[in-house]
Amino acid sequence: MRGDLNYGVIVLPNIDVACSAPAGHRRRPSPFTDLPVHPLNPRSRWLYIALTVCVLPLSTAIGQSTGTISGRVIDADNTQAIVAAQVIVAGTPLGRATGEDGRYLLANVSVGPHIVTVRRIGYAQQTRSVVVTVNGNAVVDFVLNKSSVSLTGVVVTATGEERKKEVGNAVTTVDASQFERGAVANTQQILQGRSTGVTVLGNSGQPGAGGTIRLRGVNSITQGNRPLIYVDGVRIFNGNTPTGVSSRQSVSPLNDIAAADIERIEVVKGPAATTLYGTEASGGVIQIFTKRGREGPAAWTLEAAGGFNSMGRFGPPSDATGLFLKQCRGPLVVDAAGVAFEDPTCPASGSWLQKGAVSRYSLGVRGSGSGISYAISGNFENEYGVLRVGNNKTGGIRANIGFAPRKNITLALNTSYQRRGTAMISDGNSADAFLLNVSRGPGSNFKGSGCSTTTVTCVLNDTIFSKSNTIANDHFVTGGTATWTPIEQLSNRVSVGFDYNNSDIRTINPFGYLRTPTGQYFQTLWNRSLISVDYASTWKQSIGKRFTSSTSIGGQLFDSRLNSTDLQTDNFAGPGTPTLISGSLRQITDVSAQRVINAGFFGQEVLGWRDKLFVTAGLRIDGNSAFGKSFGLQKYPKLSMSYVLSDESFWPATFIETFKLRAAVGEAGKAPGAFDATRTWNPVAAEGGLAAFTPGQIGNPNLGPERTRETEAGFDASAFNGRVGVVFTYFKQRTSDAIINVSYPPSQGFSNNQAENIGLLQNTGLELQLTGTMHPVRWAELEARLQFTQVRSKAIDLGGQVITIDALSRSYVKEGLPAPAYIGRMVTNPSAFAAPVVDSNAFIGATFPDRIINPSLSLTLFRRLTIDAVGEIQRGGHLLNAIGYQNAGLKIWQPCFAAQAALSAAAVGNAAALANVNALDRARCALGATDRDYSYFVESADFFKLRSISASYDLPKQFAPGARKTTVQLTGRNLFASTKYTGSDPEVADQRTSTFSRRDYYVFPPYRTFLFSVRTSF
Amino acid sequence: MTTIRISSSRQRRIAALSALVLGGAISSCKLDVTNPGPLLDSDLNTTSAIPALVNGMGGDLSNAIGSYITRGALAGLELVHSGNFAAEKQFNAGVIRPEDVGGDWARMHTARYVAENGIERMKTVLGTSFEANANAPRAYLYAGFANRFLGENVCNAVIDGGASQPSAVHFVRAESLFTRALTLARAQNNVPFANAALAGRATVLAWQGKWSAADADAALVPATFRHNALFSINTTRENLDLAVQTISRREVTVWNTVWVTDRDARVLYDTVKTGAAITKGQDGATNFFRQKKYLTLGDPVALAKGTEMLLIRAEAALRGNDFVSAMSFINQERATYPLAALTATSVSDAWTILQRERGAVLWLEGRRLWDLRRWLDEGRNLSLKGRSTCMPISAEEAAGNINLR
Repeated sequence: MRGDLNYGVIVLPNIDVACSAPAGHRRRPSPFTDLPVHPLNPRSRWLYIALTVCVLPLSTAIGQSTGTISGRVIDADNTQAIVAAQVIVAGTPLGRATGEDGRYLLANVSVGPHIVTVRRIGYAQQTRSVVVTVNGNAVVDFVLNKSSVSLTGVVVTATGEERKKEVGNAVTTVDASQFERGAVANTQQILQGRSTGVTVLGNSGQPGAGGTIRLRGVNSITQGNRPLIYVDGVRIFNGNTPTGVSSRQSVSPLNDIAAADIERIEVVKGPAATTLYGTEASGGVIQIFTKRGREGPAAWTLEAAGGFNSMGRFGPPSDATGLFLKQCRGPLVVDAAGVAFEDPTCPASGSWLQKGAVSRYSLGVRGSGSGISYAISGNFENEYGVLRVGNNKTGGIRANIGFAPRKNITLALNTSYQRRGTAMISDGNSADAFLLNVSRGPGSNFKGSGCSTTTVTCVLNDTIFSKSNTIANDHFVTGGTATWTPIEQLSNRVSVGFDYNNSDIRTINPFGYLRTPTGQYFQTLWNRSLISVDYASTWKQSIGKRFTSSTSIGGQLFDSRLNSTDLQTDNFAGPGTPTLISGSLRQITDVSAQRVINAGFFGQEVLGWRDKLFVTAGLRIDGNSAFGKSFGLQKYPKLSMSYVLSDESFWPATFIETFKLRAAVGEAGKAPGAFDATRTWNPVAAEGGLAAFTPGQIGNPNLGPERTRETEAGFDASAFNGRVGVVFTYFKQRTSDAIINVSYPPSQGFSNNQAENIGLLQNTGLELQLTGTMHPVRWAELEARLQFTQVRSKAIDLGGQVITIDALSRSYVKEGLPAPAYIGRMVTNPSAFAAPVVDSNAFIGATFPDRIINPSLSLTLFRRLTIDAVGEIQRGGHLLNAIGYQNAGLKIWQPCFAAQAALSAAAVGNAAALANVNALDRARCALGATDRDYSYFVESADFFKLRSISASYDLPKQFAPGARKTTVQLTGRNLFASTKYTGSDPEVADQRTSTFSRRDYYVFPPYRTFLFSVRTSF
Repeated sequence: MTTIRISSSRQRRIAALSALVLGGAISSCKLDVTNPGPLLDSDLNTTSAIPALVNGMGGDLSNAIGSYITRGALAGLELVHSGNFAAEKQFNAGVIRPEDVGGDWARMHTARYVAENGIERMKTVLGTSFEANANAPRAYLYAGFANRFLGENVCNAVIDGGASQPSAVHFVRAESLFTRALTLARAQNNVPFANAALAGRATVLAWQGKWSAADADAALVPATFRHNALFSINTTRENLDLAVQTISRREVTVWNTVWVTDRDARVLYDTVKTGAAITKGQDGATNFFRQKKYLTLGDPVALAKGTEMLLIRAEAALRGNDFVSAMSFINQERATYPLAALTATSVSDAWTILQRERGAVLWLEGRRLWDLRRWLDEGRNLSLKGRSTCMPISAEEAAGNINLR
């Protein structure tokens, strides 16, 4: 033991409670928040008690006298400062993040003994005891060891922060250090490949287009599967904006959180963990924490990045023209019969594709002063796609302020504003879609003159660029969290938040546009607001010598409002920049105004035994304005257990120093839509503009939320001094009362399907994360991670119905099959050189992947050069390649050229021509309309993609005078893809048709990005 | 163990206060929300809602007819497909599949339900004043034409989720509804509605084989009379979809139909050219000849015409082998356009002329498939031989209707 005396402050011994505690070491339960065990040896314990006895009366005698605690936190491996480590004083609201130099200062600490804890993702937590004297400063330095799996940090739950070791669920934390080398631009890209149980599908290659995020698969057919999103405790809208009329893509407000602002993301995956979030939470919860103020003077960080986008491989491998995008002139620009066509508007380069510039800038300042900590940042990004039209420009500011108006009250205020403007090409299943028209060759909707001869089919696809598809977004999020700790055992937290999204989505066919010569103008004015009020109160105490109790109660209120107006005008009087009144025909095509209120309260009890075994029981009770009249309040229970076996004396801690078993069962739900419970009629115009009604919703007064019960079990382990980590979880979800849009007989008049609680769905799966850190030589450090996720979904009971999601896409939900599944015609002898044998009602495949593997590694050389790579393998998913289906029918699908030549020859009597054409190609490439079917083009969407690869170099100080740290980085995203899928890309989907089913209907594929960036701190 | 004992009363008071605040906050939450937009079913049970209710009957009928005409024309050989829509390709090929008719089936049945259910609602709301209400005969007309439309196009009748019945059930219902419309229209001295009721009833009587009664009704309808399903450019929902498919798009073409070689002044179309070449349809391959019967997205579609009544009378005469009278009615019909009179020397000749005349008079009005179907059944016209002749029960109806399992 070593006792230091600094400025009259006694610092108690360094007490490391990290996972590497010696075997047989007994740890003690603690009644305090975040107060892990501090395993004082008998000698130090007596000293501690003695000091407590001596100092406490003194401090009491002098009233509210205070002192300070300060110090520095460094990395044990390289002695470099650890930035943004959280330093907290247990049992108080006092806490600070370390600054750029790793230093911290805690002021106004009450006189007496305190426990100081430091935690940082990726490191083992440390705790030390100090005694603060009047006006004294206790200096406490920390040297943290890396740890692949640490149980000593905290995660944020509905009740507030909970120690990881107490939590019975798997919660993944993605820290800024894990993604800042990947040149990610937004949350969606951050989550790609960095967490088990997370599926991120990019829907399009258009700049700014939002993707689809699923946690542990899909557990709802009708109510969406998007996870709830919290940003600094404020719930934000978790959907996307409406899709553009012709771009058929949307923008995700989630991506308005600039990657440079994010400190960490916690992914809470299933209902067993999200029970206390109540109705709406069964799709999981994603919590985003932005950077907060740090101790010390202002520290600035400037990042500038520039580069370009370019298209990689896409489409059928045998098609060298890349669906006529890569080559729009030349000898290969022919149809199946070898007949050439021309496009005189094809660029001089002979390709529609070009490089698109990318630039990103961010500037942030963090620090503290006068008792106020602050983090203020701004960001700007301007990105062009790989066509002449396509741009995403976004910029915003964020301010996070923290202070303590009273000793036992802290306030955190967070505000951000982001503006985004996107310009997209027409895409997907739109008559004006660029890929649709270009890839159809002579079948383009944009025919004209100007070609080399009058006999050749002449198309003018460049005309499409004159059409405008824009989305302008404003996203404002503000919120505040007050924490009141009136006494050491009781903490109260109140958060109030407001999230506001406003979008102006316009589609304009200018006057003179080839396909609609008199012009068209569509505009959607959409705004969505969400007010959230969140309260939680936790009481912690000891029960005897061995037990601790943490009792929480709380409640949440969400008030969600949607206002959306669709407008249209046609027939412009003439050229010029049109407005909504430029056309002679003007109409309000749709108005939607909905308000949904959800309110609930919860109670939770965490019972701890010797700080090793924790049993948690909780109950959430919810009401929702969308529940049917006779449904009342809903109750969602949970029960979980966490057992830190490695804290037991019998545990062989020599190799596996940390091992936690966990198990949980819990429920969460999803509410039906605002009008689903009532029988309604829709106002329409009829008979030449007269007011009229038409049937709307059938209504169901007994409609309630669907309920997902999840059971999960697993373990967290680390071995070899934290060098190897394993996190494993098995889960099983069953969604009962699943809300299914039941198809009532249309002969009953109401043709809209009615939501009813009749289904039973099931998801089972496992998640495995392996991490390893090694130093093969002194100057090199290799960190490797392998994640494996398996999710098997199945519709168990649908009341005997087959649910049609999208008949055109052959997308259905059927008992015994994954949800959703492609069902349709399947060639049962695909490889045979014979006529196709067709099963007309076959299960073709699951829509979503059921296995995701994410390998990633980070190699650091000489402590300065880091090479980082993240890959992703998805398997088991399928996608309808509607490009193939349509283009084959138009005799312009290159993979069918040979087969169709043979089929044509056979049709005129040369049966031998088919000798080398297999059954599948005969079906896919069939010449007759009745022989063809979309089903034949449902293809495996398996792929491997290199999501990102980067090389970062920390410049020596002499090359960046005045800067604390300067890093230059070269990054590539989506540089390599391997897939047998022959359509645009295995991840794309036309978003206007359905967000549950997926189909590639001429959706523009994702592209590669090359970036060079400089990040400097000063 | 570092247990700090807390003093009791203050902490308990604080904890109690916290719980009280929470309880108060939760209990004060009001979850009742009134959202604007859709109307509750009960909101329609007022006198003031009746006009909009009946307008809705017309709107739903037009919506059903306007959407179906394109596909009906493909199945009935009035047009040829020149686009890329998968279902239309099947219709064009003479294959009408349950999975391809969901939208049409639903719209047709919505039109019938809204009208029939609306009539019952009107009776309840209006009470004794129902029969004198000007909207009452109008509602019966919508219900009658909705049933005729179904009877002429579906293979089997399914009423309100019931069992499958012969499609002629719709003609029986239509006859009753037209009779009520006629009674009320005459009582209200509404001649146009009375003529529409007579014309509607004449057709459904004929389709039930009651040719004498059909002839009697048809004789009362002026040759120039016309009763329309209304469309409008006012809103997209009011647009005539066939016009959208042929004016805004090039999905269906007159090219390669009998009317290209057999020109008729009532079958209006023109060739569209890009430079010197004939413009291709949406599929990039098929010559696009644009129909010109409907020139705007708001042009009306006839539900009943005096000219058709003359052809009903002609067919009634032919069924009695009176080809002279039949030709007289046909030529009266032709004179209204005006077109030159035709001559037949036999019953067989007259049948051929009649079938062509009905094709021209009713072109693109959603009626041809029925004519070819019933004549195929009688062996008088084999155009549909080997092709689908009617719309099967939709896949959605089959899946959702327990009486069909």
